[in-house]
Amino acid sequence: MKDAQGQPLPGPLAGLRILELADETGQFCGKLLGDLGADVVKIEPPGGEPNRHVGPFLDDIPHPERSLTFWYYNTSKRGITLNLETADGRRLFGRLAATSDVILETFRPGFLASLGLDYEVLRNENPGLIMCALTPFGQTGPWRDYLSSDLLHMAAGGEMASSGYDELDLPIAPGGGNAWHMGCHFAYMAIMAALVYRPFAGQGQYIDASIHEACALTTEAAIANYIYRGEVLRRQTGRHHAPGPTPRTQFRAKDGSYVCALVAGRLNPRYIGELADLLDTNGMAGDLRDPKYQDPAVIAANTSHIIDDLVAGFIASLPSEEVYHAAQERGFTWGAVRAPEALLDDPHLNDRGFWKEVEHPELGRSFVYPGEAAIYNGSPWRISRRAPLIGEHNTEIFCDELGLSSGELSVLAENSVI
Amino acid sequence: MSRPRALENIRVVDFSWVRAGPWATRWLGALGAEIIKIEWPENERGRLPSTTTPQHLEANLNNSGNFNDTNVNKKSLSLNVRSAKGLEIVKRLIAVSDIVIENFSSRVLQRWGLGYEEQRKIKPDIVYVSMSGYGHTGRHHHYTTFGPVAQAVSGLTYLSGLPDKPPAGWGWSYMDDTGGMYGAMCALTGLYHRNMTGEGQHIDLSQMVSSVPLNGPALLDFTANGRGSRRAGFPPGNRAHWPGTPLVNNYRGPTVAPHNAYRTDPGDYNDWCVIVCHSDAEWRLLVEVMGAPSWATSAKFATLAGRLAHQEELDEHIEAWTTTLGKYELTERCQEAGVRALPVQSAEDRVEQDPQLRHREMYLGIEHPALGRHKVQNAPFKLSETPASNHLPSPLIGQHTREIVEGLLGYSHEEFCAGFADGTFWPTKRPRFPYLEEMLQ
Repeated sequence: MKDAQGQPLPGPLAGLRILELADETGQFCGKLLGDLGADVVKIEPPGGEPNRHVGPFLDDIPHPERSLTFWYYNTSKRGITLNLETADGRRLFGRLAATSDVILETFRPGFLASLGLDYEVLRNENPGLIMCALTPFGQTGPWRDYLSSDLLHMAAGGEMASSGYDELDLPIAPGGGNAWHMGCHFAYMAIMAALVYRPFAGQGQYIDASIHEACALTTEAAIANYIYRGEVLRRQTGRHHAPGPTPRTQFRAKDGSYVCALVAGRLNPRYIGELADLLDTNGMAGDLRDPKYQDPAVIAANTSHIIDDLVAGFIASLPSEEVYHAAQERGFTWGAVRAPEALLDDPHLNDRGFWKEVEHPELGRSFVYPGEAAIYNGSPWRISRRAPLIGEHNTEIFCDELGLSSGELSVLAENSVI
Repeated sequence: MSRPRALENIRVVDFSWVRAGPWATRWLGALGAEIIKIEWPENERGRLPSTTTPQHLEANLNNSGNFNDTNVNKKSLSLNVRSAKGLEIVKRLIAVSDIVIENFSSRVLQRWGLGYEEQRKIKPDIVYVSMSGYGHTGRHHHYTTFGPVAQAVSGLTYLSGLPDKPPAGWGWSYMDDTGGMYGAMCALTGLYHRNMTGEGQHIDLSQMVSSVPLNGPALLDFTANGRGSRRAGFPPGNRAHWPGTPLVNNYRGPTVAPHNAYRTDPGDYNDWCVIVCHSDAEWRLLVEVMGAPSWATSAKFATLAGRLAHQEELDEHIEAWTTTLGKYELTERCQEAGVRALPVQSAEDRVEQDPQLRHREMYLGIEHPALGRHKVQNAPFKLSETPASNHLPSPLIGQHTREIVEGLLGYSHEEFCAGFADGTFWPTKRPRFPYLEEMLQ
């Protein structure tokens, strides 16, 4: 996306300076801000953020500069090291905070205040400063100081109580670190609201965001089912929680993978005709064209036959991708249950320019990264650079911006300030 | 005392329905924007069918519990947009609005003559967020989604379950919730950009595409290492690693044991807790909490490598202990000792038992004219100067039609009444709710 002079358009958050003091719980929020154009400066402790030691690693060689998890969640950021537990570290941080728009921090409640770096102090120098503390449980309450993890949040937030198998009591926590995503989405929203409001008030504000609350909000109608009907929902294989058993929606295809086919609840005479056309594409319509199915009562009495014999048989006769496209082209809201790597071959994502080659110049290589959730037609959402190396921008920020000499920088390094 | 709101004076034209779109505008409303929800009773998805209407009521357009929670902080304009007069009214509304949001299929607004080019003629700096299943760009833009389909196609479903079993998936439309997040995030980001530059834009969001970046580390493991997720031991259930399979990271933090769900007393359906130890030190604390039983002090469990190698046995022993305690008591004992543990919580547990959510006032009551007083979900963040709040119950269908048509758009009462007579504001043959009759007085 270029402007009239052929220059790349800036992202929607261009011009904003964000200081990110975030571990695995908040780094995705910083990535969103950075990919959308803000200048995100990630401040790590000397030696690097502990999260750099979480795998998988490039070529399975463990090294703090080779964590693919760290790479992914820290694109479009610059990186500096700073030890806030030293007086020099705090002084430098104060100077950076004085010219920043937003501080995103994930320290345990009270930690920054114990260093004299609480919001009330920092805003004195910079009344427009917005500070978002994103923590597992928020800054107050009986669980405030509890420890957490992704799995713990999925348990207490309700995700596990909704996910699992028909035949097992065991609740299952969906993977991928989504508790952190849930918290970061809401934190991003709160930060943007504060940024929109700031010019009108002439001042920033403090945001106390809770991952537990974000997770507790992310189970669709489960809370409403309880509040309005007193229902506690049961877990079902590959489909929605429900107060009682509902027909299955996940079917094994010929290639051994699965298809998500939502059929029950839509069964009416017109739909039966369309379904017969779809199943007939592989000669699998069975008795669906029998005129008896023009009677809704007959359809209701044969729901199990239609789903468990005919739909299941049709899907079992074809590879999942073929079922998916044949169904969607005919207006059925069905999908192949894909492993993530199958997405690389999806032509629709390619049409949208979704995959991004991100250069890692220190390795002389580039890697394909997943891109943006949405196309911003006027101000692109795009990855601007790979994750920073440890302290990669120390000189750029401490010397070029803050005016330290190279000698001063060396002294700070020798004394573990940076 | 009324606090200022972050989105004071921002108006949103909200065509969205079902869940993802309404979940987006709910949050813009909580932040203070005026949300005008455009609805038509003959063609409505979100109010009906309702599975959350209280048992003592017969479900109708105005008493879905989930609709109420999903649509607080909004006003409802009942309008036949497919009529020439309705379209004219929508255009007048867009002319005085900041944001347009919809989650129809990809070409619907264009067919109505309300595509982005048309919108910007009416309001040059409009921020238009489309939230279709596959986006407006790309060869499959005409495909459709529900949450579970977006989750399946994007790889999210595959990440959930036990090895050698079908995917367990997500037991709800995670991507309706999260799609809603992205809708609100895009609207706020576009609004910020407009305020800074004076430029509006069309933001083309896709529910399916927005699911894919949530698989980042798994995707990089494939693009950089060539390791796919179809492999032995994946997904590893609630564990970080499945016993007897190659040791690789499974994209949920560090590879450690214990890392699992365990049954608790009294053993009912949701009597489970999860326990995770991120280090040998945390494991030793857990051993203390368990009362240092002889099995736990065995050398084979003293190291991370040992605990991973003997994970089945480890989990059996831990569960023998957890089943002696209730999940909240167990949580307190562990957390007070510095051990990571929390209960599996149902919706009832969250609303009735969770002391943290209660302290944070997560669920506060709001009065609804058809449903009475019920708790609704609050924001998971506290803005010190402009707190989000639920200040309006979900609207009855068409409840604010007169206020918007006469008050905001300046039509006369005669024109308003004529719009009821000619089917612009309500289907002529459909019985009208009493509050609609009152508007015509």
